[in-house]
Amino acid sequence: MSGAAPALRVRRLRKSFGAVVAVDEVSLDAAPGEFLSLLGPSGCGKSTLLRMIAGLVEPDGGEIVLAGEDITRVAVHRRNLGLVFQSYALFPHMTVFENVAFGLRRRGVGEPGLGPRVERMLELVRLGPLGARYPRELSGGQQQRVALARALVTEPRVLLLDEPLSNLDALLRDEMRVELKRLQERLGTTMIFVTHDQAEALILSDRVVVMERGRVEQIGRPEEVYRRPATPFVARFLGRANFLAGTVAESEAGRTVVALDGGGLSIVAGPRPGLAPGQPVHVVIRQESIRLEPPPAEAGPAGPNQFAATIVFHAFAGQAHHYVVQLADGRELEVAAPGAAVPLARGARTFVAWRPDDVTLLPGGAPGSGGPR
Amino acid sequence: MRHGSGWWLLAPALLLLLLTFVLPIAMMVPMSFRPYVPLVGITDGFTARYYTRLLTDSYYLEIIGRTLALGFTVTLSTLTIGYPVAFFLARTPSRWRNWLTILVVFPLMLNLVVRTFGWIALLAQNGLVNQALHALGIVESPVKLLFNFAGLLIAMTHIFLPFMVLVLIGAIQNIPRDVEDAARVLGASWGSTFCRVTLPLSAPGILSGSVLVFVLSISALVTPRLLGGPTYQVMSTLIYDEFLQRLNWPAGSAQALLLTLMVLALVYLSGRLARRTGARA
Repeated sequence: MSGAAPALRVRRLRKSFGAVVAVDEVSLDAAPGEFLSLLGPSGCGKSTLLRMIAGLVEPDGGEIVLAGEDITRVAVHRRNLGLVFQSYALFPHMTVFENVAFGLRRRGVGEPGLGPRVERMLELVRLGPLGARYPRELSGGQQQRVALARALVTEPRVLLLDEPLSNLDALLRDEMRVELKRLQERLGTTMIFVTHDQAEALILSDRVVVMERGRVEQIGRPEEVYRRPATPFVARFLGRANFLAGTVAESEAGRTVVALDGGGLSIVAGPRPGLAPGQPVHVVIRQESIRLEPPPAEAGPAGPNQFAATIVFHAFAGQAHHYVVQLADGRELEVAAPGAAVPLARGARTFVAWRPDDVTLLPGGAPGSGGPR
Repeated sequence: MRHGSGWWLLAPALLLLLLTFVLPIAMMVPMSFRPYVPLVGITDGFTARYYTRLLTDSYYLEIIGRTLALGFTVTLSTLTIGYPVAFFLARTPSRWRNWLTILVVFPLMLNLVVRTFGWIALLAQNGLVNQALHALGIVESPVKLLFNFAGLLIAMTHIFLPFMVLVLIGAIQNIPRDVEDAARVLGASWGSTFCRVTLPLSAPGILSGSVLVFVLSISALVTPRLLGGPTYQVMSTLIYDEFLQRLNWPAGSAQALLLTLMVLALVYLSGRLARRTGARA
């Protein structure tokens, strides 16, 4: 994200509520036109962070810089930001038109200029003919579009979205995601999007900020945070993965070998120059990275990351078959196989295998955090 | 309510209302048209003179006007004093909130007569208020605060304030904070947010609180009787005197029916107003 000056820069922002630290020294940048998600479980401080950027919550420390201007102590109504709420927060006593016109009127836009701008914005969110309606006469999806139009019509420098799709049902949510992304690409507005839904964050974002307990765990492009999680939390929160504790046995130019704790199994991973032999690590293998293979015709030497296994659990979930398999040493792994494959019955003997590149190694060794989850 | 189910839940309340409210009022209608002859009593016949007198005689018109004026000013002053209190109580994150709310309601737990006598002690010629004003050099001679409009206004504002505050707290608490936050992010200052969002959205509470206090004020008897004395009359004291002092039941019935009619008209109009604003909000 070098090059252009960031549209929004947050530096070492802090906020506590009593003894609870809600946001702990958070720093991040958003490039102009970027779609940045703040992703984390509820209570991780993502909403508090967003509200501090909006000016609704006063930070204990740190600074917020909007397009080069320090706005940390600027009053809410002078920040020229847009904010979309989970609850929509439309003005129930005003028509759709008046809701959208509200921000423009506060900025002293006169009647002649007002009408066309509001109409154009309503057109953009496909609510053209509904200007005279009241919010309660609209569906949830329509109300959320009014909220979007209301926030975007003033051409805010940054649009903040606080779980805007969480109150919609699944089908509508998918539709609104697409619409939101299109709107963002069309208008080029920088968007900061708070969500607890990892799929939503991955689909929509240019970059994802994963937060936990008020701290940033990782910032990266969706593929990065998914494929190369920086911490065990990120690996657990994004998708489902198997966690195995082990120790680095060999670290060579081409590969890293990890000996798993409590057994003779070795796992081969890609090159990790930072890891020295003897270091305890977490081995993370995503469910969908593990292939189920038929037993080889004759008993030969097994390839790297190939192990005999027995199916101990199977469930069909539409897009995938979910399996729990047991390895020779008794340890269990979760596996997701494509839904189109012919299912294997419980008790069936099979082989599991995965590519060294699909193995993530995280420095650690905190006891009790290994094993499948 | 499909199949009318559920209506029976209202039956006890409806029956009570019928026996103690609708029936007595219905009985007052024929009574109000019968002539009353002094020293003889209520006689048979038909006359509309109590109504014409009530609506033309300047003595009665003054009392009606005074009652309405008192109702409006008491409503206005409880609203003016009560709104900031209710706003504070609805919004404060303080853990003392429940205690402060109880403090607002506390006067209601004290007997009305006791409270009114308290006000007599305070507002009398040589009462606490006048002594304080004199000591501070604000007034030369004592201000007349008893047996007039000012005294009634002060005491009734105090007595009906809790009703207004309680209704307003509920209304203000119902306003989602997100909606106000949205206004501020959109560029509205605190004052602008209050005027354009908070105040309009608390309108239903303002309306119902006002109707409640107005109806209570114009029908109040004890306070006007004690603080107004025998000469400074409002409609309720007038009705009381007609029935129990002068024993002129027909005249009293006509006056009581007029007061009831005024209350019903007000409740009806406010209901229509609420529906109109409610249709928007």
